[in-house]
Amino acid sequence: MTATEEAPATAEAAGGEEIGRDRRRKEDRRLITGRTRWTDNLAPPGTLHLAMVRSPYAHANIAGIDTRAASRAPNVVTVLTGTDLADTQGVLANAWPITPDQVAPEHKPVAVDRVAFAGEIVAVVVARSAAAAADAAELVDVDYAELPAALELKDAAAATPENGGALAHPDLGTNNSARWIFDSAEAGTGGDVEDAIATARTDGIVIEREYRQQRLIPAFMEPRSVVVDPTGEQITVWSATQIPHITRFLLAATTGVPESKIRVIAPDVGGGFGGKLQTTPEEWAAFAIARRLGKPVKYTETRSESLLAAHHGRDQWQKLTLAARADGTVTGLKVELLADLGAYVALVGGGVPVLGAFMFNAIYKFPAYRFDCRTVLTNKTWTDAYRGAGRPEATFAIERLMDELAAELGRDPLEVRRQNWITHDEFPFTTVAGLTYDSGDYESATTQAVETFGYEDLRAEQARRREERDPVQLGIGISTFTEMCGLAPSRVLGSLDYGAGGWEHAQIRMLPTGKVEVTTGASAHGQGHETAFSQIVADRLGVPFEDVEVLHGDTQVAPRGLDTYGSRSLTVGGEALALAADKVVAKAKPWAAHLLEADAGDVEFARGKFTVTGTGEGKTIQEIALAAFAAHDYPEGIEPSIDAEVTFDPVNFSFPHGTHLCAVEVDTETGAVSLRKYVCVDDVGTVINPLIVAGQVHGGLVQGIAQALWEEAVYDDAGTLLSGTLADYLVPSAADLISFDTAHRSTPATSNSLGAKGVGEAGTIASTPAVVNAVVDALRPYGVHDVQMPCTPARVWQAIAEGNRP
Amino acid sequence: MDLVHEFTVPADVATTFATFDDVESVVDCFPGAQVTSVDGDTFAGSVKIKLGPIALTFSGVGEFTEKELAADGSSGRMVLSAKGKDKRGNGTAGAQAVVVLTPGDGAAGGPSTDVEVRTDLQIGGKVASLGRGLVQDVSDKMLGRFTDCLEKKLAA
Repeated sequence: MTATEEAPATAEAAGGEEIGRDRRRKEDRRLITGRTRWTDNLAPPGTLHLAMVRSPYAHANIAGIDTRAASRAPNVVTVLTGTDLADTQGVLANAWPITPDQVAPEHKPVAVDRVAFAGEIVAVVVARSAAAAADAAELVDVDYAELPAALELKDAAAATPENGGALAHPDLGTNNSARWIFDSAEAGTGGDVEDAIATARTDGIVIEREYRQQRLIPAFMEPRSVVVDPTGEQITVWSATQIPHITRFLLAATTGVPESKIRVIAPDVGGGFGGKLQTTPEEWAAFAIARRLGKPVKYTETRSESLLAAHHGRDQWQKLTLAARADGTVTGLKVELLADLGAYVALVGGGVPVLGAFMFNAIYKFPAYRFDCRTVLTNKTWTDAYRGAGRPEATFAIERLMDELAAELGRDPLEVRRQNWITHDEFPFTTVAGLTYDSGDYESATTQAVETFGYEDLRAEQARRREERDPVQLGIGISTFTEMCGLAPSRVLGSLDYGAGGWEHAQIRMLPTGKVEVTTGASAHGQGHETAFSQIVADRLGVPFEDVEVLHGDTQVAPRGLDTYGSRSLTVGGEALALAADKVVAKAKPWAAHLLEADAGDVEFARGKFTVTGTGEGKTIQEIALAAFAAHDYPEGIEPSIDAEVTFDPVNFSFPHGTHLCAVEVDTETGAVSLRKYVCVDDVGTVINPLIVAGQVHGGLVQGIAQALWEEAVYDDAGTLLSGTLADYLVPSAADLISFDTAHRSTPATSNSLGAKGVGEAGTIASTPAVVNAVVDALRPYGVHDVQMPCTPARVWQAIAEGNRP
Repeated sequence: MDLVHEFTVPADVATTFATFDDVESVVDCFPGAQVTSVDGDTFAGSVKIKLGPIALTFSGVGEFTEKELAADGSSGRMVLSAKGKDKRGNGTAGAQAVVVLTPGDGAAGGPSTDVEVRTDLQIGGKVASLGRGLVQDVSDKMLGRFTDCLEKKLAA
């Protein structure tokens, strides 16, 4: 990764071109040094500290809780159970009931009479120090009566009261929460998939596979933390969250405290990956306790609590049937999915698999498709969005299947993809899943990736190693992908029964000194919003990058917003800002005409300056800001302000795409997989800041590769999380990886004026299948057709041992 | 988690069986263990264990669900199940132990008994996610001390 030197440039010196320029991130000095407002660094005077008492059992009735010893411990103020908090603790909301008859247990922040997963909170110790609270939490004596636990996904899906299977919530009578189906024949977007499969069985190829998306843990760098101060006019909540606006709304909606009395601030937040796209029991408990005691309280989780009780991601069984003609043309895909929700239906957890429904067809134009998904409750930590949310699961399935189809045909997997994908001249293209892809160029991204990778040379090396029966085999993995970014058009969300819209709000305040204050509802947690948004505003207004101050993450400062997830910040939030800047310019124009004593029709705006056509006379927009502030002399009908705000609701998603190529070496004697080469060419539309995009791609790749090779949340037979430390849950470090070769093509998005498509999730989505395809490719001569993720040495070795070696 | 331990004690099967059957006497040999009450085949007690950074005091109940001694002293078998939880909330444990006694080869002179203990140990809570890797090591050490003590007791 290269960085340009940061020069004290004006927009003029930069040629008025901030967009597309490598800019070091404004926020990095404070984020990297840590000398900033992390939630745990904040402590209003008199703050009390909370420690959570958590269930060690996956499923148990609470027969009694003895808090006497803990209450008497030094510096303990009180110990509260779910019963003590009664109705004042509110409930945790599920904002996306995907079907009208969805079955969902009520979720109290602190359990009252039964726990449904190991890690669920049963009592809260309030003490004068965090250490005192932690010590006293060990003195709370809880009497549990263990219940049978629903743990394995398929067993849980099949369990009924009649067959004696364990139910995650016995009172619900079933573990099946909802069933959601999309069928192209019913939707009118394509044909009947059963017909396609039947035809392929007699006169073509049918590929049937089952894939497991293992359970993952978001593993953000900063643990979750919350401070609640009820002592002011309002109750102020600081939380390490991705969603301050949604949190405020739901706190108000579930506790009865008016929204106007709640201020939620997400100060600097150290990573989320979807793991902080949640309203948490810890936040709700802290809010209830602060109100009850009338004192500020703080809770910061330990790393092991984070792994155990912050939400998990993925966890699906996929049963797939792909139909194709004998020549390799895909004719249909049937997807049957089981998704593990964990013990409760999280904020958008029920909807994550549904997001994937639109992506199983990926970049291919086959005519028949059916997606049938069941969401299942188990006695494990709840699951919700994790980087990519639904789209990585879908992309993995189709990209593995395309490789399997190529293997069946004995053809190059790139060729089979080329034969089936949407060609550049076919855009805009409406897919069998009903989405309209606005732009893309799969050919050009693929051509560039293949050249950079040295595809032919590596294939030749692979053939040589196979020939020589080299114990270390070479595998080449391909993943071509697209995703739906820019969540989301509100109307689409409405049609999917999502509980909110997908718009974003922006405001630009022109300060009298010429500085520009910008507020956005997109609340960052490490993505570099302040830098990218400054670049957009600097370009549109023609002011220096340094003069733009971006404010976010505080419901008081940026009152309207729908926060950051789903690669929506730039495509929705950034576009709102661009449109607000255009509005500022439009409002400033009559001011310019007035000050320049010209007709508005003769005034032009370029690079921050209004000029009268044909004369050298002009006023900068910053000068006009001062004139509007002073307001000494302005014509009637003009407002003494050139500030503007915009709420932008996109008409469509954006569809970034790309081609990822991965080479791995697999030691067939030990099962060890090592990365040899990784090349990706992504098309994310207009790039605002190449440095930020490179960082997002690198981070995304590492996360996706980690799913392929290392990471997995493992539970034992009793429902204890065995991956409860970072030594067990293998988050990779720089030493585990190689240098990536990343490049870009750009076909601008048409759904926003910036042409941006979004980049945050691309690397994660594309890399997992690229790596697994490479591992399987290396082992095909050994009769291996699949290796279950993560492809650990043990699993790879096992697959070789079970394969039919020639 | 399955744990297997094998050791030999210097006494015949019947004597060894009787010793094991006397919970209060056996427990003396188990480091950190205490029996608070015995009622027929069930008993209650506690055991202190230090597992890496975590000190645990498990208290709970146990029961002999099977006890068989061949009349000719050629074999003995006991099945013990126990369940407990740490007082400080750090863990829960459940164990099912099958103890098989067979006559030893008497190499040291005099009768001896080979003891095999197969334990299916279920641990939960913080101890399971933090101390899992230590369980085998710690249980081996504790059993080493247990058998030393038992040897002395039986030799006496």
